[in-house]
Amino acid sequence: MISCTEFIPAYSELFKYLEEKDGKAAVIKFWEYLSDNFLNNLRDLVKEHGLKGCWMYWSHTLNEEAADFTMELDEDKDEFKIVMHHCPSKGRLAETEHAKPYRDYCGHCDVLYRRVLEPLGFEYDIDLSRCDRAQCTVMVRKR
Amino acid sequence: MKKLVMDRRASDNEYLHKDFHIALNHAIDYLHGNYGEDAVRDYLSRFTKVYYAPLISDLKTRGLVALKDHFEKIYSIEGGDVDIVLNDDVLIIKVNKCPVMEHFKKNNVKAAELFHETTRTVNEALCDGTPYIAEFLDYNEDPGSNIQRFTRRQKP
Repeated sequence: MISCTEFIPAYSELFKYLEEKDGKAAVIKFWEYLSDNFLNNLRDLVKEHGLKGCWMYWSHTLNEEAADFTMELDEDKDEFKIVMHHCPSKGRLAETEHAKPYRDYCGHCDVLYRRVLEPLGFEYDIDLSRCDRAQCTVMVRKR
Repeated sequence: MKKLVMDRRASDNEYLHKDFHIALNHAIDYLHGNYGEDAVRDYLSRFTKVYYAPLISDLKTRGLVALKDHFEKIYSIEGGDVDIVLNDDVLIIKVNKCPVMEHFKKNNVKAAELFHETTRTVNEALCDGTPYIAEFLDYNEDPGSNIQRFTRRQKP
């Protein structure tokens, strides 16, 4: 059994495997598949609760992932923001010295969530400029 | 209208996001559907040899107790109903209720046709190049019961 605590390296190795087989396009195609099939809970929450659905979704996942983060929902400004001080996934990959992470590991967070949120009428921005330090910022705004 | 703020440190929570099992299930299904059965096994085997390299090295050095320690640790994290017994050169992991299948059931998720390869292929790849072999026996998808047996490889 692969423990859920070992999933992130399995995920990273899958990206490498797909890229080796069919290039980056194959990795993106898989991310799109995962967005369409795995993120129904986010999709349903946002459909029902609007931006607050983002708050509900990430309250669950980021706590279970033991992330180091600050999350804000401002209903007056119609904004939802996550400042990731230390991403548990990227952090764990960086700490695993014997397995090199997929070169664009953090790219999945752009594709997966954008694909859910933009069709529902939201702008999705992710600043990955500090992802080498396991940090990023996500901003979701009502269009 | 209001503003909500949540501020968390990593130490505030235990790292245990069981929905990752569901993501892995999708990954297995995707590989199977788009690249075939061999790709599922090939990927899992490669992942095992890369990620579990320290464990494989430990297996070569310390023998089956290395696997016993590893599996006791992960089943203790994941839960389920599992008996792990090591006697001389035989390690038996008897999974009565698989914690992954329990999570799938709770979330109404159907296991991918080849999901069991995340145990069978991974165990075989752990033993590849070591004095041991892995067998995967008596698998039953619901409740995910199975017997994983590790024994010393017979000399030709």
